[in-house]
Amino acid sequence: MAVRAEIFEEHERWAPSLIASTVLHVGLTAAIVFTGWANFHHAGENWGGDTSGGGGAMSATLVSAIPLPHPVEESQNVLANDSKGLSQAQPTVKETPPPDAIAIADKKAKEKPQKKAPPAPRDQKKPKPVEEARNNEIPYGEGGPVGSMYSNSGTNFAMGNTKGGISVGQGGDFGNRYSYYVDAVRRKITENWLRYEIDPHTPPGKRTYITFDINRDGSPSNVRIEQSSGIPSLDISAQRALQRIDTFGPLPGGYSGNKVSVEFYFER
Amino acid sequence: MHFSMLRKFVPALFLIVSLPLIAQTDWIKTGTNLGVEKVRLAVPDFKAGQGSESLAAAFDQTLWNDLYQSGLFDLVSKSFNPTQAPGQPSEVQLNVWASPPPSASMLAFGNINVANNEVTVQGWLYDVKNPQTPQVLGKQYKNGATVENTRLIAHKFADEIIFRLGGGIQGIAESKIYFISTRTGHKEVWVMDYDGSNQKPVTHLGSIVLSPRASPDGSRVAFSWMSNGWEIGIYSTELGRPVNFARLGGTNSAPAFSGDGTKLAFSSSRSGDPEIYTSDTTGGNLKRLTNVKGPDTSPTWNPKTNAQIAFVSGRTGLPQIYTMDVDGSNVVKMTDQGYAISPSWSPNGQFLVFAWTRHYGPGAPGAQDIYIMDVASHQWVQLTHDGGRNDFPSWAPDGRHIVFQSSRSGREEIWSMLADGSQQTQLTTNGTNSMPNWSAK
Repeated sequence: MAVRAEIFEEHERWAPSLIASTVLHVGLTAAIVFTGWANFHHAGENWGGDTSGGGGAMSATLVSAIPLPHPVEESQNVLANDSKGLSQAQPTVKETPPPDAIAIADKKAKEKPQKKAPPAPRDQKKPKPVEEARNNEIPYGEGGPVGSMYSNSGTNFAMGNTKGGISVGQGGDFGNRYSYYVDAVRRKITENWLRYEIDPHTPPGKRTYITFDINRDGSPSNVRIEQSSGIPSLDISAQRALQRIDTFGPLPGGYSGNKVSVEFYFER
Repeated sequence: MHFSMLRKFVPALFLIVSLPLIAQTDWIKTGTNLGVEKVRLAVPDFKAGQGSESLAAAFDQTLWNDLYQSGLFDLVSKSFNPTQAPGQPSEVQLNVWASPPPSASMLAFGNINVANNEVTVQGWLYDVKNPQTPQVLGKQYKNGATVENTRLIAHKFADEIIFRLGGGIQGIAESKIYFISTRTGHKEVWVMDYDGSNQKPVTHLGSIVLSPRASPDGSRVAFSWMSNGWEIGIYSTELGRPVNFARLGGTNSAPAFSGDGTKLAFSSSRSGDPEIYTSDTTGGNLKRLTNVKGPDTSPTWNPKTNAQIAFVSGRTGLPQIYTMDVDGSNVVKMTDQGYAISPSWSPNGQFLVFAWTRHYGPGAPGAQDIYIMDVASHQWVQLTHDGGRNDFPSWAPDGRHIVFQSSRSGREEIWSMLADGSQQTQLTTNGTNSMPNWSAK
């Protein structure tokens, strides 16, 4: 039975839907294309910045113009650097409970098995002798008379011009009496200090303090770094300058001491 | 009450007990950038006694020249001195010297007198800035009344001043320079004072003599001379005649005494190629140090350690400066270009001074100048720039002066200068003079 049943009783009217769909799709596509064109089409813009003439090359700047962090120069201000300052902290006093105090039981205090009786309560820790204060000591009386603390105590010991001991009134006078010798020492050290041994990036103003003794015959001895500048090449070049010197010339004939101590600073 | 008083005493007692133990030293505190100016020294004419005017003139001139040549002082111009020259400490008014125009910081003065054919010089060095204790030096010299002796006294006094104010520098005012001069018709060894005065012949060999080198104690002078081939000769200044040295064969040249005077280094071609040898002072105990093809010559010892020798070698082509240990090992090349010759090692062992033509070859400007090089870092500085061929530098025993030969005046002459290249002074004017060597004595 070749029956073609007309199943569909009514024509589905698909034409208007098709047209609408087509219009929608075309419109969407057009919108996409238009957006793409509008956003990404740049007329003649050059990469790499504003180079008129269209060179387009990047300009390289010298490395030294790059702002590298400066080596931090430690300021002398006591408040602004790491030094302990002039005051010293009081040692914290550990509060020991009076001997007949009963410890307050806290919530979590279960009976922990007591392994061993704790050792006898330590004595209150004696305050540690302050070593750091030496660096910040305000120097007084160097080469001069002993500090007045003791001389005013009403005792009778004579602090006059004792020979072989502390020289009162004469000490510290070397520079005044023999200024030509001090000049010669300074000149000789400066002549023997080779600055090319120092790291060229050292900031100016850095100082190394070297202490040494000059014996009777003028030879330097006991060279030591009193205060480092923090820059090893400066410290080493300062020590080498002293090593190169055999003699500063004998100490002046009128001077009775056996040696003179020198504190010398090398400044970059 | 007793107890508390005792408490005050105890630390004081400790102090008394330790008094003799605390040897309190004096302190000097100073630093590098406080200025290193030259000492401003006033040297007025010494007060001349009756009949000593000519000697006084020689004395003043020699003293002034010695102090100027040392390079340590800013000498006050004589026109600034007050008109009254002080002759005795009692005549000195320090405030006059300390104020302008002299503005001196040190004063050297004294007097010179002749009596009974003897000249007596009294000299003082005063610290003008220190009125309480001004005296730094006070010296008296006596000698036969001749110009020669007066000059010697002036040299001694100048050396004393330089020693005190320069920080232990051994002055060179009494040192001598040996050199080669042709003024007798032959090249012979001559000697003169360090300032060019008193030029005298030393050898009379009637042949060609080259490269004199004095021993450290000044008792002998080694040289090379033509006597049936080039040989090393030694002249004794104490005996006044040549002394024995072994005949080695080949061409022998450029002898150099070691810093302790016990050995001689020289160049010899007895094996065919010029090599460096060492021997003792009579030519025995010969030891060969170099072994490389290419001429090796002009040895100079490190006078501080006596353990190194610097020499010239043509092993890579043009002559360059090398250093090696005294057994021949550890050869280090010091120069890397041009034509470098005639090294001389400084008394403190730190520097080499030599003659260098840095740009050598066809088309190059090619000036030969004296250069100084730090042995440790190989950094060099050019000392002469004024043209002429400068050659054969030699260090003074104080390590602050250099003598060399220069042709800038048109002819080879001897010149001296400070080790930084300043104060270049011509020392000879007569004949052709070359190959100087500065001797301590």
